[in-house]
Amino acid sequence: MPPKQSNPKDPLISDDDEVLQAVILSDSFNKRFRPLTRRKPRCLLPICNAPLLDWTLESLALAGVQEIFVICRSYATQVKAALSKSKWSAPNSGIKITPIMTAKETFSPGDAMRDIYTRGLLTSDFVLVYGDLVSNIRIDDVVRVHKERRKVNKDAIMTMVVKEAGIGHRTRSRGESSVFVLDPETSECLHYEPVMGYPRKSVARIPREVVAAHPRIEIRNDLIDCQIDVCSVEVPSLFTDNFDYGDIRRDFVHGILTSDLLMKNIHCYIAKEGYAARVQDTRSYDSVSKDILSRWTFPMVPDNNHPADHAYEHIRGNKYIPKDNSVVLARTCKIGPKSLIGPASNCSEDTTITSSVIGANCVIGPRSTISNAYIFDNTVIGADCVIDRSIVGSNVQVKDGSRIERGCLVGDGVVVGPGAVLTPFERLMKKDDEGEDAAGGDNEEEEEEEDSDEEDLEEYQKNVKSILGKDSNALVWPRGPPEDEDEEDEENVENFTNQRFMRLGDDLSDLDSDSSADSSTDNSDSDSDSDTESVTSVATSTSASHVPTTPTIAVPSSAAVAEYEFRVEAKQSLERAFAEGHSVDNAAVELKTLRMASNVPLSRVREAVVGAIVERIKIGGEVAEQRKEIATVISRWGELINKIGGVDAVETITALQFHCAGSDRLPLFGQILAALYQEDIVEEEDIRAWHALPASKGAEVVPGLDADNIKKCWAVGERMIQQFDEQESSEEEDGGETDEGEGTTEGEGTTEEGTTEDESEEDSD
Amino acid sequence: MGPEVHSASTQKLVDNLSAKLRRRQIVGSRAAALETLLVLRQIVSKARFSNIDQLVEIIRHAGRQLVEAQPKEHTVGNTVRKVLHHIREEYNTATHGGALAQPRSAFSIAKFLVQGQPRQQNVALKSSDNKQPLKENDADDPDSFAKGLKPVLMEAIQDVLDELETVYDNVSKNAKDHIHSDEIILTLGMSRTVEAFLKSAAHHRNYTVIVAETGPSYSGHDMGKALSSSGISTFLVPDSSIFALMSRVNKVIIGAHAILANGGIFAVSGSLLAATAAREHSTPIVVCAGQFKFTPLWNLYHEYGALDFGDPSNVLGFEEGDLVDKVDVVNPYYDYVRPELIDVFITNYGDHPPSSIYRLIKETYDDEDIEL
Repeated sequence: MPPKQSNPKDPLISDDDEVLQAVILSDSFNKRFRPLTRRKPRCLLPICNAPLLDWTLESLALAGVQEIFVICRSYATQVKAALSKSKWSAPNSGIKITPIMTAKETFSPGDAMRDIYTRGLLTSDFVLVYGDLVSNIRIDDVVRVHKERRKVNKDAIMTMVVKEAGIGHRTRSRGESSVFVLDPETSECLHYEPVMGYPRKSVARIPREVVAAHPRIEIRNDLIDCQIDVCSVEVPSLFTDNFDYGDIRRDFVHGILTSDLLMKNIHCYIAKEGYAARVQDTRSYDSVSKDILSRWTFPMVPDNNHPADHAYEHIRGNKYIPKDNSVVLARTCKIGPKSLIGPASNCSEDTTITSSVIGANCVIGPRSTISNAYIFDNTVIGADCVIDRSIVGSNVQVKDGSRIERGCLVGDGVVVGPGAVLTPFERLMKKDDEGEDAAGGDNEEEEEEEDSDEEDLEEYQKNVKSILGKDSNALVWPRGPPEDEDEEDEENVENFTNQRFMRLGDDLSDLDSDSSADSSTDNSDSDSDSDTESVTSVATSTSASHVPTTPTIAVPSSAAVAEYEFRVEAKQSLERAFAEGHSVDNAAVELKTLRMASNVPLSRVREAVVGAIVERIKIGGEVAEQRKEIATVISRWGELINKIGGVDAVETITALQFHCAGSDRLPLFGQILAALYQEDIVEEEDIRAWHALPASKGAEVVPGLDADNIKKCWAVGERMIQQFDEQESSEEEDGGETDEGEGTTEGEGTTEEGTTEDESEEDSD
Repeated sequence: MGPEVHSASTQKLVDNLSAKLRRRQIVGSRAAALETLLVLRQIVSKARFSNIDQLVEIIRHAGRQLVEAQPKEHTVGNTVRKVLHHIREEYNTATHGGALAQPRSAFSIAKFLVQGQPRQQNVALKSSDNKQPLKENDADDPDSFAKGLKPVLMEAIQDVLDELETVYDNVSKNAKDHIHSDEIILTLGMSRTVEAFLKSAAHHRNYTVIVAETGPSYSGHDMGKALSSSGISTFLVPDSSIFALMSRVNKVIIGAHAILANGGIFAVSGSLLAATAAREHSTPIVVCAGQFKFTPLWNLYHEYGALDFGDPSNVLGFEEGDLVDKVDVVNPYYDYVRPELIDVFITNYGDHPPSSIYRLIKETYDDEDIEL
């Protein structure tokens, strides 16, 4: 029963077998909550009266995570202080939390991952989440599934947790969603495409290879991406290798899946049970709050296991009132369903509160109406106020008779009123007094940025329509798209129109009608229909040509130049490899890099390699000598053909055929093919498949090649197949073949020496 | 109270358990009671005290923390109260030579109805063993009191543990007297006590059980499987047909989550439906439960939250995007069944009507512990 403490270094961790580690990226890397996040990080904003980070930590604790690294960037000292004060750093919490301060230059999750890699903190598979996650999914189950999969397939590097949610689900972000293409049997993610609310996406491009390689695929646009990732240790190193990866989804997942060089797989885990969502924007803040109050997050609900250890009493209609009787509720006040009132708050006569969260120590004046609003701690709201679908920060004073319309964000410490009227989507912040900027944790760069912002703001105040009231200390933030933003910025998720999809209280009626006017795709349902159509069209249009082409090659002339350059460089690189006796692996890496740089299809690389190897074989000498020479070269370098990033033996034979047909090594074709066969680089079936191809017979005349030569090669192949058939019918071997067998055994002997030398060379590298 | 109330290691145990209770990693009244008891045993064995009040305070302190962590698992508090009661009893026999303990149990209803209760006999035996009264607050050797009392305390806790471990056997001891041949029994949900009870009756009688599915948890499926695997003829029916079938049912046997002092119970949701239907047909309703579920609270049913509302996903899938926003779904784990609807309780210490539960509770726990 008492946990064994076999690890003397970490008495905080009771280790049964392996410690489950998690990394929390506490920074959001965007500014959607401003001005609420001007003086504190988003992860410390309260949701249902407990800081977001505490919900995340509780979510992880619920899943049995034992060691957590919190990556802090902006306001890092605040996050660190909050962690050290919280119950998690108590000796008996069972969890070890280490805050990690990263450099201010960390601008994206990718940078954070690279920082993790350089620190080398992670020892095994780990869970990667953001600091704004609320979840009750059993992540340890996902980790178990992930580890099982890793045992079979070393390349399954990541498992993404997604949650089914129907069309128009309140918790599914419309501004930032994604199309997942999954293999329903292995739940491997085959393709990922981010979707934004604006510019609207009606077509998802799915590579032909995905459709070709999998008999069944699922294209799903109804999943909430919880951004809980179970990652293997090599994930941070992949970020380091690809220094331009920023976002985990847009860059990393997309990059891994589209790259056929890395050969890594990413899987999805569709959570059937449990709840998980991120508070990514003000709209999801609203929906996650409502989900918590409707108890979807059970057992993390206000009356049970509240992360801030408040004790609430649950009463009919999902209302929550503190148990300690510290709240003063006037006899005539009306508390509607889905409401949470914080400790020591005061609701005066005739107030109406519906679907709202009121923080601790708040005072709501008489006859005020608060609906769908979120009010943080220590805020005072005067008499006869109306607050609708807004977030009001802490220590705010809303004086008598004020109206705060939908979508407003009121920053900490603001005073408005009396009689203020805020138009919808107004964002207010407090005018800064001198010297208050000294608050620690702000990085200098950000302050500078803010200062310049403030000057603009002063300008902006003249054309504000809202009435702030005479006692106000507030500055209104500019609305609408910034003027200096270019059109090309539309591609960014943070573009203004797309932001509207993430804004609290925005019903987007104008945007929706726009889009239905210019295309028939109105809702996301028909969106996914059109996805499937586009897939089929892609598949049919490209399947006719034999050589796989990537859609990125748009202009043929530039592609041709790139191909020519590639051929020259590949030749040089291979010659160097042959001359200096590189190991096969090193040569393969060099070719991969080259291929990435010039962006050519795999088949070109194969042609180049096959060509170079064939040219390597010296012509002349006796038949036996010639045979030995071929065997030596093929056994030394033949392996390279399959190491360039994909195995396609039929294509190899085709490449060999075409090369031989165009060079003076035509008579050697049969012998080389036999040598490849002996080295297991091509199999009998491959030769048969190649033989069956119409192109092999010379059906399509390739310019610059002699059709006769192609036919000759084909005839050689036919003889070989006849031999196979004979072998099958009569088990005995004829003289010629025994000869060949002897030749190869000799060859193998020499290569074995060669490869062992290579390996030792590699080791010393 | 005392500064040395908890050592670090026992505090860790308490924190561990309360975290598990809060996160609902330990659910079920018996599991919660067992875990609590194991923690209390550790605490008593490690505690340093020189008089009974200190010990009681140590246990209460831990108990309070555990109850606060999960007020809806009533057996946690019950177990703490029961241990306190036993400790006082042992203390009285040890210091006053058992003179006080004897008359206390003399008027027991439990003793009235149950022949040969093992615990009571043990107490009588021990009191005769212990001739030397223990001395409290010994200035020369402050640990002498603890040293002298601890063995008997551990034994008392072991008794409570044994009781918990044998609760199913003891409840089902007289099962064949309650179930007769060719009867049709209706039950709900998955209760280990009811399962053991029905299985034990099946050794002697040939009867039929109708199990309601008990949505939204559908724990009736497990119950149906468990019963039919041991050869009882079992029907699994949807909850909607409970009323229709009631006219043919001879008895309704259900389990309980907690038994309140007024004789009402908290039981798996759907129980109230079955109980009301049974009352309509004047079908007897039998509740099978161990005595560790006796809870010295009677007004819990005033509290809406006492029904323990879970997440709505069992009732309405989260993927039903449109509905989630527009419909509020409640999914209570328990129903409160009024004492008027219940005919008899079958416990590990005999059978009792709802009206005498308060008396049993008074005997099982000490009055001063009702508020921990």
